[in-house]
Amino acid sequence: MKIKNLKLKIGQISKLTRVWVMVSLRAAQSQLLTSWAVILFLIGKIVRFLLFFIFLFAVLGSAKNLAGYNPQQVILFFLVFNLVDISIQFLFRGVYQFRPLVVSGNYDLDLLKPLPSFFRPIFGWTDILDFFTLIPLWIYFLWFGFSQGIFKLGNFFLFLALFASSLVLGFAFHLIVCAVCVLTTEIDHLVWVYRDLTNMARFPTDIYQRGIRLILTFTIPVVILITVPAKALMGILSWQGVLGSFLISGLFLWFSLKFWHYALSQYSSASS
Amino acid sequence: MVKFKKRSMRKYLTLAKITFEEYLVYRLNFVLWRFRSFVSFLTLFFFWLAIYGSRSEFLGYQKSQMLAYIVGIAVLRSIVLGSRSVDLGGQIRSGELTKIVLRPLGIFSFWFSRDLVDKLLNIFFTFLELAIVLAIFKFPFWFPTRLETYIIFAFIVILATFLYFFLSFVISVLAFWTEEIWATRWLFGVIFLEFFAGAFFPIDVLPAWLQKIIYLTPFPYLVFYPLKIWLEQISGIEAVKAILICFGWLLLFWWLAKNLWQKGAKNYGAYGG
Repeated sequence: MKIKNLKLKIGQISKLTRVWVMVSLRAAQSQLLTSWAVILFLIGKIVRFLLFFIFLFAVLGSAKNLAGYNPQQVILFFLVFNLVDISIQFLFRGVYQFRPLVVSGNYDLDLLKPLPSFFRPIFGWTDILDFFTLIPLWIYFLWFGFSQGIFKLGNFFLFLALFASSLVLGFAFHLIVCAVCVLTTEIDHLVWVYRDLTNMARFPTDIYQRGIRLILTFTIPVVILITVPAKALMGILSWQGVLGSFLISGLFLWFSLKFWHYALSQYSSASS
Repeated sequence: MVKFKKRSMRKYLTLAKITFEEYLVYRLNFVLWRFRSFVSFLTLFFFWLAIYGSRSEFLGYQKSQMLAYIVGIAVLRSIVLGSRSVDLGGQIRSGELTKIVLRPLGIFSFWFSRDLVDKLLNIFFTFLELAIVLAIFKFPFWFPTRLETYIIFAFIVILATFLYFFLSFVISVLAFWTEEIWATRWLFGVIFLEFFAGAFFPIDVLPAWLQKIIYLTPFPYLVFYPLKIWLEQISGIEAVKAILICFGWLLLFWWLAKNLWQKGAKNYGAYGG
């Protein structure tokens, strides 16, 4: 019986993956139709990353440390921030398109499909440009880390596990935002609040005062999202930190699913 | 003539009142917008506090000067970069521009009135947020020592305000000819603007070769040069040169805005309107 259930679950995940790939390909096709926009957005993403990078190199070249971290470690924090942030943007871009679905009533049609109710709101759109930027970023990140001797293989596997946990946490938060959208139809600034708070982890969060660090750990857990995987990579994370981060991710996931189901129970179609 | 001017003013005052009321329609969005501004300011503030640590001077800036620069970014974002003319591009593409051109309102006056309301709201709340941060952290703040600095600063900020208005208008008006207005706005009006205007960090912390490229653009005259004048790091001939170049860019973008608007409006098809 257990093996049968497991096979069913694997089958479901496989089906959802196929649907996601299909949806992503359609999204990519749609984006690549406007080639000039694609070029401009890609240039913008690369310029933003490079300018911040040059800025960090310029400042740390003179400062020599930031909150006790040497320049290589600060750069690593910055790279991990970009990896986590861009991966979350790539996977969960559907959130930015959810409000029009709700206010128009078209979300009713998605509720009729044999897919989880959160599939369209969260996974309904992927940004192919984020995918294009992730590949060179991963390559540079791996080259930087191993060539500078900042992380070892054992720490790297722990980092991958915490990276996956960060994606789960990112999913949970986006689901909470979608639930708020169903209840209030106000979503735009809430998503950007999440983005702005995540941007605070562009630098090691130790630079912030204790009160702010607590907020960034337990309310919108940016510390768990970005700082914890980076510290694991450097081998400076305690086992309590590892367990705590998995626990917080799990709690957020549980809460987000509960809140989402509550929001759906309050959903009344705008026009169908 | 006086009655005519009074009637014209009343039109724009009514427009300003309506713009103000629009902000309060979605109150949660309004509160979150202010929260976001506050968070952006705090991020930079703590970063530079951590960089300075126990240092009193770094990269040519005293600690009080760098913190004044960060506060200045928040203030100038409100005064110079606060704008509603970003909406123009979307209105051209959707056809909603028709509603505006049918009204007895000048297009530049229309958007500038809306911009003024945005700026006033921004300034009010920015000063409130800064007062809270100052009250809690009590950090040293730089004030100019010479009276003429305040006058020159005020003058260049006024020029920068108009420069940004026409620059933003030019970007928006490109919507007459391209569908990819959001990509254009994002690249030139957000990415290049934020970095090249010195709205994240002072431009002169960057390598010299990159500074030279940035100084060829109009962006440094929006935030960076006004703040350099405030910090009295440029004065006299250099300050006059900065004002003249800023004015030159302003004239160029005013001319571009006027001409592009006239050309675009002639061929405007109001698709979707």
